[in-house]
Amino acid sequence: MFFDVFSNIGLGLTVAASLQNLAYCSIGALLGTLVGVLPGIGPVTTVAMLLPISFTLEPTSALIMMAGIYYGAQYGGSTTAILINIPGEPSSVVTSLDGHQMARQGRAGPALGIAAIGSFFAGCVATFVIAFGAPPLAKLALQFGPAEYFSLMLCGLVAAIVLARGSVIKAIAMVVLGLLFGLAGSDVNSGIRRFTFGIQGLADGIEFVALSMAIYGVSEVAVNLEKKEEEVATVGVVGSLLPTMAELKYCTPSILRGTVLGSILGVLPGGGALLAAFAAYTLEKKVAKAPRNFGHGDIRGVAAPESANNAGAQTSFIPMLTLGIPSNPTMALMIGALMVHGITPGPRVMTDRPDLFWGVVASMWIGNLMLVVLNLPMVGIWVKLLRLPYRMMFPMIVGFCCIGAYTINTNITDIWVMAFFTVFGYFCLKLDCEPAPLILGFILGPMMEENLRRALLISRGDPGVFLQSPISIAFLVAAAGLLLIVAAPAIRAKREEALAE
Amino acid sequence: MNFKTTLRAMIAAPALCLMASAAFAQAFPNKPLRLVLPYSPGGIIDYVGRTMANALSGPLGQPVIAENRPGAGGITGTDTVARSAPDGYNLVLMDPAIVINPTLQPSMPYDLFKQLATVSIISTSPEVVVVAPELPIKNIADLVAYGKANPGKLNFASAGIGTTPHLAGELFKQRTGIDATHVPYKSIGQSYPDLMSNKVQFAFSSIAGALPFTADNRVRPIATSGTKRSSVYPDLPTVQEAGLAGFEVDLWLGIFAPAGTPADVVEKLNDAIQTVLKDPETIKALAKVGVEPRGTSAKDGEAFLKNEFGKWKKVIEDGNIKDQ
Repeated sequence: MFFDVFSNIGLGLTVAASLQNLAYCSIGALLGTLVGVLPGIGPVTTVAMLLPISFTLEPTSALIMMAGIYYGAQYGGSTTAILINIPGEPSSVVTSLDGHQMARQGRAGPALGIAAIGSFFAGCVATFVIAFGAPPLAKLALQFGPAEYFSLMLCGLVAAIVLARGSVIKAIAMVVLGLLFGLAGSDVNSGIRRFTFGIQGLADGIEFVALSMAIYGVSEVAVNLEKKEEEVATVGVVGSLLPTMAELKYCTPSILRGTVLGSILGVLPGGGALLAAFAAYTLEKKVAKAPRNFGHGDIRGVAAPESANNAGAQTSFIPMLTLGIPSNPTMALMIGALMVHGITPGPRVMTDRPDLFWGVVASMWIGNLMLVVLNLPMVGIWVKLLRLPYRMMFPMIVGFCCIGAYTINTNITDIWVMAFFTVFGYFCLKLDCEPAPLILGFILGPMMEENLRRALLISRGDPGVFLQSPISIAFLVAAAGLLLIVAAPAIRAKREEALAE
Repeated sequence: MNFKTTLRAMIAAPALCLMASAAFAQAFPNKPLRLVLPYSPGGIIDYVGRTMANALSGPLGQPVIAENRPGAGGITGTDTVARSAPDGYNLVLMDPAIVINPTLQPSMPYDLFKQLATVSIISTSPEVVVVAPELPIKNIADLVAYGKANPGKLNFASAGIGTTPHLAGELFKQRTGIDATHVPYKSIGQSYPDLMSNKVQFAFSSIAGALPFTADNRVRPIATSGTKRSSVYPDLPTVQEAGLAGFEVDLWLGIFAPAGTPADVVEKLNDAIQTVLKDPETIKALAKVGVEPRGTSAKDGEAFLKNEFGKWKKVIEDGNIKDQ
């Protein structure tokens, strides 16, 4: 078994290292980084546009290129999250929390560097996870039915409260608001449109990218405009470009934890990779060694989620390659591309087309290496960008955000949505309400509702369905445990207050 | 003399007309055309749309640009074309949702029969009935018998309220009298893990969605829903063969233009569509996702559209399916 895997990886490497495939891998990784950096144009659009070209390629080369775009975008997304607080991809929302703070303190270089290094390490580990663990992990993914998903999402939502710094009440309020915003649009179970106010452009709900760019990017511009130019924290001092050895050592446990979490959660189709970043950050906040400085530029707050989302992005290929189940729209496109080549994704790909399966797996490792080689020298260029005077920077940010929000669905409503959430985000900043729990509520809420109602439809309304599988029970117990952790200090404080009186 | 002039005029007039229309037709595609695909990238519409757009550029002599305009179950993209200039440069590719939406949605931004004209119904594609593999169901009769013997146990999956898989399931319930609970997913692909593990027992799925799972029997295909057998599943009987006379669910695709597009422009577009649908390359490309070319005339397409509209309206009303 062990020997098999190594000979298979050997086969994969010979496929992936052919000149042609190396070229497609680097094109994919480069394109991915680029679209990741540009807000609005994401991997889905890019892969869709390249689809007709891919029909003329060898299926292996096509898939290698598309995979490159996919993980390259994860990478590029964190660059904008760190530099200008605009998460290009949902999974880089978490990165912006500490990453952007670091940038404001003149430590953009180490933040970008640790993101690259953490991602690379996680990518390498995840490649081996796929190589060794694909079949058993695919089985695990199949055990997730609606009930299990619901419990997982519930656990994630409770974790969102832990995620916030400061007031628990505010965090809960933000989660609930996020849930409500997430409910807008057509309900999957009844087809009824909720909270759309008759606006056609809201029929599919509030666009995530518009919301996150508004709350993070544009709101911050608004806050900065209140200050005089000298006070605005564009980064005067750039500082060192790369993380120091000490910082690397300091981050190692975080990268390891993030990688493990990401590799596991990534296997679950539907939001796994995204949850991974949030989960890794939450875990760091709880277990990292003091001094903890999360939310104010703790480098571990970049290292852990970046490792997690890259590991998750990689292992989310497991359900696609072994089950034919896409984890996200980009993968749905890849499945489409494979079918056009007459390959039906599923368990037989590994045995029928080992060159394709192992070639793609090996190319991921090569691609990750390319990304590091590509991105580390770029760090210097990116950081220079931050020296732009703010009066030039903010119109650019607003402009890019508008273009980005519009191009996702070519829907003008999305720009209005962005305007609304900019105002909303501004007040949140003023009221000291963290947006991260809102984002998580916004993303998890609809998925949770969908799975809750599906589980109850199938069980004919019997809530016992959530206690029938060990996986579901485990998540529910974990959620209860997390809730206790959050509640405990509050309870203690209350008691002390009472005693003082 | 008089007779002669009349004769000449009689000959000349149609000839002139022909020349005029030829001149106009030559003038017609003098800039790129736009084919709106009202769904996100990745589905059948996307694939067929891009294939057709590519192929159509040949006979039309102008690039045809496929543009994804997803939203509101296809309404958003269709609406942009319904409102655009009726000059033949704005086209939309749609599936049966175009006739289902007006019945299901209480407020539509456009009137299907007043604002859109059929250029051609370009393709036909059956759905495939798949069942959870652990069930002892090998054919339609087994499925009906199982449903009757286990009332309240069956679930069927769909790609959402009012989608073809949903209404096909409803039609099946209405025709067979079995009871089954509808479990909607965001796409039919998402329902497969639950089908494989028998949480959901059957579904009417698109062939493209089913192929990865039927190829190695992770779900069991038992019938296809067309009037004749599918070339992808030649061994499977149709639901009609299995005893449900007249049962047909067709995941057809059609190209539509804004109403008021000049008849000769529509004709020119229809000719181009007919031409590419006879091209072996296109036929091969469509067959990969279980789609077969049809290519009706504009008139036949319009009649077909009306017929489909009535058919699904009845299923929706009989099943008391609501949506707001």
